[in-house]
Amino acid sequence: MADAHAHTASHAEGAHAPVATYLRVAVVLAIITAIEIAALYVPGLPTAALVTALIVFSVVKFALVVAFFMHLRYDSKVLAALFVGPLMLACAIILALMALFSAFLLLPRA
Amino acid sequence: MSGAQEAAHAVHDPNIGTTGLDNRKMGMWAFLGSECMFFGSLIGTYLSYKGKSVSGPTPHEILNIPLTSISAFVLLMSSLLMVLALAAVQRNDMRWGKVWLFLTALLGAGFVGFQIYEFNHFVHLGLTLQTNLFGTTFFVLTGFHGAHVTGGVIWLLSLWGLALRGKLGPQDSLKVEICGLYWHFVDIVWIAIFTLVYLIP
Repeated sequence: MADAHAHTASHAEGAHAPVATYLRVAVVLAIITAIEIAALYVPGLPTAALVTALIVFSVVKFALVVAFFMHLRYDSKVLAALFVGPLMLACAIILALMALFSAFLLLPRA
Repeated sequence: MSGAQEAAHAVHDPNIGTTGLDNRKMGMWAFLGSECMFFGSLIGTYLSYKGKSVSGPTPHEILNIPLTSISAFVLLMSSLLMVLALAAVQRNDMRWGKVWLFLTALLGAGFVGFQIYEFNHFVHLGLTLQTNLFGTTFFVLTGFHGAHVTGGVIWLLSLWGLALRGKLGPQDSLKVEICGLYWHFVDIVWIAIFTLVYLIP
């Protein structure tokens, strides 16, 4: 019983990615950041396409840091729920505020 | 009490709850969840008032994207150094643990330095907290983030000080991990702010 309990705790908290994975993730993050900044200087790129691409890139960067650097990919689902639940609520707050103020990024403002 | 129960009692860690998870780590994740809503409200307010200032300066007149790109990159790379610090402490390589902890704090301090320069520059260009809706929402959002980074730098330097005095070892890796969770969180908040405030036209 005690062994099983200790095993559960160590499994939930001890599993981390190897250092090589961290380095690969950092390289990907740096490349995405460079693409984001370069996209601003592409002539003739429609604003809607630029905004969509920038949001997608930032979501990918956000997810990579949370999954690998914060170890949520390897950690307990309880911890993921503690973070992702309020994160979804925060996104809903942002969208609700923007709806209330008619301030959508891709649509003409009232 | 049977032998098995006595053994279970002897090995029971008071920090491990009924979920099998460490309470301190769960507490940090719950705190970070609440911080998501805090920053979500500030970002939502910024976006709601975007483009509604009746007088300048406006974002496209004043934001310096090349400079902020460098500071964003500095904070992003500090997250890499933070995980390297944790990995070093976990394998009892305290020499590199101390190096990575100090460099993480240094990059964090560099980010705060960039922000102080930026705020000072904006004030000289006529943008203050009271100038317009952009000034109010921009300074409140990025100022709170900067305060969080400053708190993280102090936390990192505290851990570095403990390591220098030989009071931080692999048995304390959870302390470094929890500090790391906080540090990565301020990094991901900046990922969102950098895109929504600086990059989106």
